Amino acid sequence: MSKTIITVDDAATMRKMISFTLKGAGHDVIEAGDGVEALKALQTRQVDLVITDVNMPNMDGITLTRSLRALPQFARTPIVLLTTESSPEKKAEGKAAGATGWIVKPFQQEQLLAVVSKVLGI
Amino acid sequence: MPLNDELQQQLIKDLLIESTEGLDRFDREMLVLEKGQGTPETLNVIFRVIHTIKGTAGCLGLPKIESVAHVGENLLDSLREGKLTSTPEMITTLLAYADALRAMLESLETTGNEGSADYSILLQQLQDFLTGKPVATAQATPPAPAPAAKQTWGLFDDEPAVSAPAAPASESTPPPAPSAPPPVLMENTGAEKEVATRGHSASDSAIRVDVGQLDKLMNLVGELVLARNQIVQFTNQAQDPTFLNASQRLNNITTELQEGVMKTRMQPIGNIWAKFPRVVRDVSLELGKSVQLVMEGKETDLDRTIIEAIKDPLTHIVRNAIDHGIEMPNVRRAAGKPDEGMLILRAFHEGGQVNIEIMDDGHGINIARVKQKAVEKGLITQENAARMSDRESFNLIFLPGFSTAEKITNVSGRGVGMDVVKTNIEKIGGSVDVQSEAGKGSTIKIKIPLTLAIIPALIVTSRGERFAIPQVSLLELVRLEADQAKKGIEMLYGAPVYRLRGQLLPLAHLNKELALDASPSAVTTTTGASKETQRAEEQAVNIVILQADGRQFGLVVDEINDTEEIVVKPLAKQFKGINCFAGATIMGDGKVALILDVLGLAQHANVINEVRDRSLTDKVKTDSRASDRQTLLLFDVGEGGRMAIPLSMVARLEEFPRSQVERSGSQEVVQYRGQILPLIRVADYVRAAAGADSKGGDLMQVVVYSEQGRSVGLVVGSINDIVEEAVTVRRDAIGDGILGSAVIQNKVTDLLDVAAVIRSADPSFYNTGRPAVELAA
Repeated sequence: MSKTIITVDDAATMRKMISFTLKGAGHDVIEAGDGVEALKALQTRQVDLVITDVNMPNMDGITLTRSLRALPQFARTPIVLLTTESSPEKKAEGKAAGATGWIVKPFQQEQLLAVVSKVLGI
Repeated sequence: MPLNDELQQQLIKDLLIESTEGLDRFDREMLVLEKGQGTPETLNVIFRVIHTIKGTAGCLGLPKIESVAHVGENLLDSLREGKLTSTPEMITTLLAYADALRAMLESLETTGNEGSADYSILLQQLQDFLTGKPVATAQATPPAPAPAAKQTWGLFDDEPAVSAPAAPASESTPPPAPSAPPPVLMENTGAEKEVATRGHSASDSAIRVDVGQLDKLMNLVGELVLARNQIVQFTNQAQDPTFLNASQRLNNITTELQEGVMKTRMQPIGNIWAKFPRVVRDVSLELGKSVQLVMEGKETDLDRTIIEAIKDPLTHIVRNAIDHGIEMPNVRRAAGKPDEGMLILRAFHEGGQVNIEIMDDGHGINIARVKQKAVEKGLITQENAARMSDRESFNLIFLPGFSTAEKITNVSGRGVGMDVVKTNIEKIGGSVDVQSEAGKGSTIKIKIPLTLAIIPALIVTSRGERFAIPQVSLLELVRLEADQAKKGIEMLYGAPVYRLRGQLLPLAHLNKELALDASPSAVTTTTGASKETQRAEEQAVNIVILQADGRQFGLVVDEINDTEEIVVKPLAKQFKGINCFAGATIMGDGKVALILDVLGLAQHANVINEVRDRSLTDKVKTDSRASDRQTLLLFDVGEGGRMAIPLSMVARLEEFPRSQVERSGSQEVVQYRGQILPLIRVADYVRAAAGADSKGGDLMQVVVYSEQGRSVGLVVGSINDIVEEAVTVRRDAIGDGILGSAVIQNKVTDLLDVAAVIRSADPSFYNTGRPAVELAA
């Protein structure tokens, strides 16, 4: 039941909040401050789900998604984009990069958990 | 599972810190952009700050911050994507917008809600920038996002969103796309390279610590030091080598820990300077000036309490420098300077203190105008002004109620003057000085201690009690052996004074001021010393020369021990009323020593006659003392013959028994310090009743006057007082050995023409051809 999830966001407060919510639901959570940090962390670890912000310094969420999809071990891992940008173009861009789904910030905890349950099939 | 309150509070705190830092970054990058030095990343950084604030605030249920952030985000997004180009007005509005966000965050911090301020005009302006340009597209959304009405999440491979509160997915592009994303390789290598060059991020090597926590640690370390000291004391009597070893280790570790904790409280001064680029920009824009800010020594570390204390004074000085110092561009051009003014902030460590200099290359301080203003405001008199040195004149700007601005501007006319700056800096043991050169600019120099928590201090003993004297007040130490002490310390009107290199210093005895009994313990502690040395010790005098409020005095103590770094502990509040003490500290042996408040002690001992909080004019008088006030010796030469001479003309005051008077020819003389001192009876040469000085019993009061190695004793009736006053001399009483008369202490007093009296008594006294000494009244 318990899954490992990485949350990628340059805002520490946001990471903390997501982390708290997911841990409350019984999951293990890894945090990363941007795409580069996330890739680095994922070199040595496998996760069941990636939740990433889109707009971040160093490497944004779309690029992170593309980079992960290029790695065999992450070809099928669900990736959810967390973004304030709900424009159709952005969504299309995320989809093209290989993202599994999206959540618009701000979100309610229940929504986050609902998405997580859905993509993890639990 | 709602966020519990505690977590919510914690997250809001995080948001505040994160956003405040972010907005500082916003300001900084905005200024870069304004200078036209922005790169695409500049706008990205700016955008992200707002983007993050919006996202986080939204999740934390702060709708107002979120909606305000949203409007700016739209504009910034258009800028970032090149749909709009930034204009100076846009940047000004965006900076104001950042201030609005700050205000809301501040309100959130202090009151717990987002505040009720109305930002609709500002937001409308931002909106206008967006819509005003034809290029702006549908991006221009209404100010408030309406998250509830929109679809908030979805999956790309799921047709309808799962139980979304709103309608199902609006865009239905069903084909699942977990398939191979195209040209990833390029991006990937780029990312790898970044990993390699970046090493670890800042979040790996630094953490945030609550300031209260640091203060608590500091206190605990103080307690640990105390406990350590007691153990070390105990160790001295113990024999067990294991215990000795352990205690030695404890000793070392405690010292290191203490240093380490001290360091955690240090912050680079750059932290408070960070906002100055923005301040400089705003102020210079407002005034239509052009100013370049240069900062040197940003990394100079200071204790955080001091950082807090100098923040406002520094801001004020910076504003002032731009407002009053740097000229308008056209004026600068006319003076052959570059249009752009230069403001330099410099910080560096020196001698255990931090020096901060604020330099501008403006027109400098106009001495004439400063003086005129001070006279107009009744701060000094016309005569004072005429006699002031340049340096004194510059320092007039620190007087309460002073402002040279021709009109009160929005910039520096905020009711806070440079006097407040000075007071605030002095409050933390610092000092301010100003230098200026006409046409070239001014420099304000601030010296402040590194920390308030640990200060260097001189430890002295009086009657077996130890006291710490902060080193900042200390000027020098003087030790007089028994015979020197007898000669060196003179009594003037019942008050002891010591002449140090020609300057008379009032003395205070620490044991008398603090009413320390000559307790038996003081005697028993010196049992090791022989009676001989003990007596010598008792007769030798140790004088600590101190400075308080710009005036010097000597403090006589029994023993001078050593200088030490002491940890300052505040006194319990029931002792706060006693102004002789600034705090307490724990000494090496675990005992408590009181820290002397030098100013308070000086006031208590009456060795500096002005109290700092006296009325304005009094303070000004004190400040201008050096130039126009004189210290006068008051004496009389018989009935009603009240006279004065400047104390500077007095070499010594002596008392001789009449029986010692001998004659050399027609001249009365006494033997004095192995030489013959001719005596002149002043009463014989002035209009006052002759022979009046024969009263007063067996002792003659003699004022010794020296000139070019020759001395003469002026015999007077009695020596009455030493006063410091600004004297206005009336010349209508000239003649007969009198220079003029003045009102001193509300009594008419004649000023003795010393040179004339000596000349008529001994015409050859001044035969060196030099002009006679003149009374500078």
